[in-house]
Amino acid sequence: MSTDWKTEVDKCSKCGKCHTVCPVFLETGDESMVSRGRISLAEALRDKQIVYTDKLRDYVYSCKKCMRCRTVCPSGVDYEVIISALLSGVAENMGIPLLPRIIFRYILPRRILFDLMLKVSSKIQWLIPMKRRGQMRHLPLLFMGKRWIPTLAKKTALQKFRKTKKLKNPKMRVGLFTGCLINYIYVDIAEAVVDVLNRMNIEVVVPQGQLCCGTPSSTMGDFKSTKKLADVNKEVFESQKLDAIVTACATCTKAIKMDYLRTLGPSWQSMSDKIYDISEFIDKYCGDEYETKPIDEKVTYHDPCHLLWVRGISDEPRNVLKKSSDFVEMDQAGACCGGGGIFTIIHYDLTLKMLERKVASIERSGADTVATNCPGCVMQIADGFAGKNSKIKTTHSIQILQKALVDSGINKEK
Amino acid sequence: MKQETHNNKIQAKVFEELCDAIGRENVFDNIEERVCYSFDATKEKSIPDLVIRPHSTEQVSNTVSIANQHNIPICPRGAGTGLSGGSVPIKGGIALDLKNMNRIVELNARDLTVTVEPGVVTKDLQDEAAKHRLFYPPEPGSAGFSTIGGNVAECTGGMTGMKYGVTRDYVLALEIVLPDGSVINTGSKTLRSVAGYDLTRFFVGSEGTLGVLTKITLKLLPLPAKIGTVMSYFKDIDSVLNATDSIIVKNHLHPRSLEFVDKTCIGAVRGSAEETIPEEAGAFLLIDVDGNEKNVANDISRIEALCRENSALKTSIAKTDDERDALWDVRKSVSPSLFKIASMKFNDDFCVPRSKVREVLKKVYELGKTYSIQVAAFGHIGEGHIHLNVIYNDGKEMDLSVHKLVSQILKEVVLIGGTITSEHGVGDAKAEFIGLELAPHEIEIMKDLKKMFDPKGIMNPGKIFI
Ligand SMILES: Cc1cc2nc3c(=O)[nH]c(=O)nc-3n(C[C@H](O)[C@H](O)[C@H](O)COP(=O)(O)OP(=O)(O)OC[C@H]3O[C@@H](n4cnc5c(N)ncnc54)[C@H](O)[C@@H]3O)c2cc1C
Ligand code: SF4
Ligand code: SF4
Repeated sequence: MSTDWKTEVDKCSKCGKCHTVCPVFLETGDESMVSRGRISLAEALRDKQIVYTDKLRDYVYSCKKCMRCRTVCPSGVDYEVIISALLSGVAENMGIPLLPRIIFRYILPRRILFDLMLKVSSKIQWLIPMKRRGQMRHLPLLFMGKRWIPTLAKKTALQKFRKTKKLKNPKMRVGLFTGCLINYIYVDIAEAVVDVLNRMNIEVVVPQGQLCCGTPSSTMGDFKSTKKLADVNKEVFESQKLDAIVTACATCTKAIKMDYLRTLGPSWQSMSDKIYDISEFIDKYCGDEYETKPIDEKVTYHDPCHLLWVRGISDEPRNVLKKSSDFVEMDQAGACCGGGGIFTIIHYDLTLKMLERKVASIERSGADTVATNCPGCVMQIADGFAGKNSKIKTTHSIQILQKALVDSGINKEK
Repeated sequence: MKQETHNNKIQAKVFEELCDAIGRENVFDNIEERVCYSFDATKEKSIPDLVIRPHSTEQVSNTVSIANQHNIPICPRGAGTGLSGGSVPIKGGIALDLKNMNRIVELNARDLTVTVEPGVVTKDLQDEAAKHRLFYPPEPGSAGFSTIGGNVAECTGGMTGMKYGVTRDYVLALEIVLPDGSVINTGSKTLRSVAGYDLTRFFVGSEGTLGVLTKITLKLLPLPAKIGTVMSYFKDIDSVLNATDSIIVKNHLHPRSLEFVDKTCIGAVRGSAEETIPEEAGAFLLIDVDGNEKNVANDISRIEALCRENSALKTSIAKTDDERDALWDVRKSVSPSLFKIASMKFNDDFCVPRSKVREVLKKVYELGKTYSIQVAAFGHIGEGHIHLNVIYNDGKEMDLSVHKLVSQILKEVVLIGGTITSEHGVGDAKAEFIGLELAPHEIEIMKDLKKMFDPKGIMNPGKIFI
């Protein structure tokens, strides 16, 4: 990890403006759970006033890495540099717990092992006592969802799209980076992406060698593992002749478009420029071309943190949804849903509070369906409605477009 | 600046006593938590021995009375956005974080009053009042994140001062925990009250040195229907001052805000601002007027014309709320953006009679040149208020020259008939300068008053007076 965090912390004016947006601080009001406080901890580490302890690890892990604080910081502090340094410091000084370490270092880089592990664990999930299951949600895929792992797909997305459907005269050729959640659980999202793009006369390749984007390992400060995964993904995608790379996962987009620039260096820039969130891609390349028959449902949109606060993407998914449905806005659409990462394990109670707020906003909007652009948020929000006997459905925005899209004769060779 | 680390000096027995009285979950002795409560927006740092985060007046009272028995300093803290070191626990002891006391207890629209706990964020109160079409005018740049408790303890000013005054003008009544743990109520929830000495006013601006504010009753006003905003860039400060006088003195207009920013500040925000700032701009004026729609439109166009008459380089009138926010964002980001120039700054908030601003600014820039130290100025110029920022990189020698420069400037300010601080408070940052403005006898009276409330001196020691 670079050392520039040591100077980056000095940029913080300690003004406190990050208080206004940090989802964790808004719940707790605790200074140790917001960037300003954590920056002071980084400073104290640098100045050798404190050392790595369990407590410090908890405070570091209590950051959701949503990066919303960075969007309001008047001093231009790149908080991501600082939190990444803290995470890797925790990993280096306190180690990474054995199980995640094995997963990150040995299993994630080997697709066959990962497939196998998930199969096995989905069979044995009943072994984990019910009470603990709830608390272990979102630990890198192994222990997912309140229904623990929402049933694993029989056939992963990668297996399903082993062969590329060739189009006669495609307008473009794009690669799909599936990401783990979509590959193993929400295969229907991948199907929607491929279907919609094909119907827009865009050929979609799903490169088979692709691996996890590396977010789970970097969230725990294991940047070595992330680098390994990134190297493989780089090779896999660079070896294909692609006009663009799309993803339907906000976190994967952040990882491969933004974080890889640090992990892999400037050599990744030209690939990074070609990476798009699925709505962003459609809005940019097909915006005026496609026809829809809007579905007869009120649909609202939840902004995933990694799309809105990291990339500033907010109009594009809404444009797609406005063409595909009776779109209604919710209040606090950009408020975190609480899902994602190690945070949900350590601060399960806070996760639930954030989720409750989100669910309430969605309900107030009067929508029949909430759409979003991240399978992690889909899982979290669906969980929020699961126990509530609610009729509100949770889905990915591409699936709404899939339903509304009208074939206009661009590509009829199905 | 100063950095101190305190060892955990609270005896185990006292720690237990505190935990029993207010709950273990509200008492933090780990170094990590203590580091997070060691600073404010001056960037000064001193690690407290304990952090306590009470939820009620009773818990505050228990904490304070135990601390008093054992001579442990108490440093009340709102959001730690202060600019004079007020919530930095420079003598160690307990950092008393009041952010968990954040209920709006009662908003009474017919009485035009609201009672809140101290940890309520200023903007949350304003938003709540707006739901009733009411208005809490004081608007510090930190309104989105500072607390009402901190605002009252500092007598915070802000952007609307030109028309609506400062925090003091809105505080009607207080509930206060005194150092012996007793709870008193000052003032009355009526819009006027003169029964006895004005203890409320005495506590406003007391910087946490007399007691802990646990409930605050504030006056509200009817919400103006409309706010209009003009941004006007000028080539130099002279033109700014001519325009200001023309608006207020010659044309008798009464803006809600009249904010000035100088060339160095413009340099710091240029680029990050959405607004395109003219290359040759040496200063800007940001002006708000409020009232009914017709008057606002009228005043705005008159003010714009007056700025042009006084050789404005460019003026922009906000047409939408978003445009207004964008213009104000430029102004609000000035202070923190100055850290882009250097890692340290000394911030003062002096005020002079309106007619003396030209004279004092001339002195400030001259002195900056003499000491070869960069100075930047911005502020509520309509009221003669200036945020003086001395910007520098850390280092012992530098500290010394900065100190000399600041004291020289403040001497001039007092000589001209001004005050060394008009909204951020004295804290410890300006404690050594208070003698420039107050006579020894006056300081003695103040110290005697403090002793009466806080005989053992546990409340925020080291602040205001050395
Ligand atoms: C970007 C920025 C812009 C700012 N703009 C302005 C401005 O325009 N005008 C202005 O006047 N100030 C401004 N400030 C300064 C600061 O925000 C104010 O002084 C504010 O009132 C401090 O509130 P706080 O809650 O952060 O209090 P803190 O900084 O935590 O504390 C301030 C003082 O109040 C005492 N205190 C806090 N709560 C209590 C309580 N309940 N009982 C007793 N004592 C208490 C503390 O001991 C301390 O002495 C700005 C600061 C920043 C960072
Ligand atoms: S907003 Fe930026 S400068 Fe202000 S406290 Fe937070 S990180 Fe520091
Ligand atoms: S990244 Fe998100 S969770 Fe972390 S400090 Fe910033 S706003 Fe809070």
